[in-house]
Amino acid sequence: MVLLLWGLQCLWLLWHFGDEARDLAWRLAHGKVGEAVRQEDPFQQWLTALAALMPPDSTYVFLDHYEAGKEIQARYRLVPRRHILLMPDVPPSFLFYTLRRKEASFLILRDKNLAPGPGLLAAEASPAIRPVPLPGPGLVFRVDWARLWGEFYD
Amino acid sequence: MTEPALSLFHLLLGLGAIFFLGYGLLTALIPAPGFSGPERTALSFGLGVVPLTLWLLALTAMGLKFSLPLILGPLLVLVVGALLLARWCGRVDHGQQSAVSSPVATENRQPKTGNLFWDWLFLSLLAVLFVFVTLRAVLYPMWAWDAIATWGCKAKVFYESRGVDLTCIQAHNYYPNLVPLLLTYLYLCLGQVNDYLVNLVFPLLGGLLLMLLYSFSRRLGLSRTRALGLTAFLALNGATFIVHLYIAYADLALTYFTLAAAGLLYLWLQDAAPRGSLGLAAVFLAGMAWCKYEGPPLAGTVVLAAALTLIWLRPPGVWRRLGDLALPLAGLAAGFLPWRLYTELHHLEAGADHILGFYPGQFLASIPQVLLYLVNPYYFGVLWPALVLAVILLGRRLWTSPRLFLALFLGGNLLAILLAYGLAPTSAAEFSQYVRGTLDRLLLHLAPMAALLVGEGLKDLEAGPGE
Repeated sequence: MVLLLWGLQCLWLLWHFGDEARDLAWRLAHGKVGEAVRQEDPFQQWLTALAALMPPDSTYVFLDHYEAGKEIQARYRLVPRRHILLMPDVPPSFLFYTLRRKEASFLILRDKNLAPGPGLLAAEASPAIRPVPLPGPGLVFRVDWARLWGEFYD
Repeated sequence: MTEPALSLFHLLLGLGAIFFLGYGLLTALIPAPGFSGPERTALSFGLGVVPLTLWLLALTAMGLKFSLPLILGPLLVLVVGALLLARWCGRVDHGQQSAVSSPVATENRQPKTGNLFWDWLFLSLLAVLFVFVTLRAVLYPMWAWDAIATWGCKAKVFYESRGVDLTCIQAHNYYPNLVPLLLTYLYLCLGQVNDYLVNLVFPLLGGLLLMLLYSFSRRLGLSRTRALGLTAFLALNGATFIVHLYIAYADLALTYFTLAAAGLLYLWLQDAAPRGSLGLAAVFLAGMAWCKYEGPPLAGTVVLAAALTLIWLRPPGVWRRLGDLALPLAGLAAGFLPWRLYTELHHLEAGADHILGFYPGQFLASIPQVLLYLVNPYYFGVLWPALVLAVILLGRRLWTSPRLFLALFLGGNLLAILLAYGLAPTSAAEFSQYVRGTLDRLLLHLAPMAALLVGEGLKDLEAGPGE
């Protein structure tokens, strides 16, 4: 009986991994493997462009929800740049405090289709923070953190 | 030679060096003839990885940057020295020595008879599985959550900085680093961060784990066919084990170390282990403690289950044998303390968030979830129901033989999982998600030992009633 049930679930495994096996066979046939797999994702392409833009010793603030699973991809791809995660609806005071305190030279919003939070709206209005025209799913700003005043946080 | 082929060659050289380190340690610890060829292969990798990764930690502690000569040079000199010493002492088996120094001279005590049709069927199933998972591992870059959030990310940082640098990692920086440092070493062998080719190490670990399970079950008396069947039964039961063969998590490594440590202790309790096996078990317990945050308590339960089994069964020389368990305990400490000391010296918060209080509601809520995972074929197929059948079949013999060790280890850890969920610092809304995200992995650590107990049930079936 156990053997029969095991045999049946082996058939289920064959069905369950069928899609992955087909994708694998297709990639092998077309040579689209390794880094090419990653570069099929527009978000990953954007991260590649960001890596080319940001110096390796820079610090950036990344606005996103952790649960989306994109922030960990960004951190992984942009290492060794220092990564600070804040929520997209972060208030201006805490955003500016973090940018100055951590000497962050880039501010990144992962999804430009999200309604901008108060922190980002204030950043867009600040002369110390300038948008970078980098096509992709998010927004990138260059930050002159030394021009941000105040060791404040309310 | 094309670049990918050259990279693969470098990777294989790096993996070969680990096997060589482990083989040297094994030869120094175990008088020949001890273990069979497959056992030596399966054990050598773990025996090489533990000192190698601890040495990488030591290099950082000494303020030295990682480089291959600095990593491999001293270790290879030590191993060659150990091999020469073993040769001088007559420990290397040249095929002429007989069973003089070991209570168990051969791999198993069963003739290699079996059913060829079933043998080939099981082998074919395993071969198909490993072709799939190996290609799945090495042709795709790291993508799974913990692989890029923790293990792979750390490895990339360590490689870039040539040391254990935690300045750009905020979460989980107190986690033990056996897997990240193993990946770092392989990146050094490759000369670059190649996060798809390096994944080869995961199907390799899975293959070695299955080789160990096969060897242990042969040594415990299963016929070749049944041992192969048991191995295929573990590998092809639900999706959890298969997925872990290619997602670059540390759980497969912990599972491998757990099977090696607990399996060797079980053989020792059965008087079926070659002399010196406790020293090997100590190294694998060190690997458990150095592999994952839950490794030290899991390793503690291995030694505790062995001690309780001895106390319950009271075999001849029970107190001496209890004293012998100090060696595995020392191994656990040797795997746990270096990283613990490092975190203390560098003021890393060591997981205080995990123990805030006991929540009875969570404990009770986790019981049906754990039971559901045990019977849901998606995760482990029919492994756990088969374990229940094996326990029923073994009946009273479970409590009157060293098999008690397996029952205590598995039962104790299932209870420990429930207790751990009672301690987990999650909100009520997130609790179900938290359990879903962790339970399959916690059960994976125990699955090979569950398979070993199923194997004991099979053995009794094979022997027939009355034996």
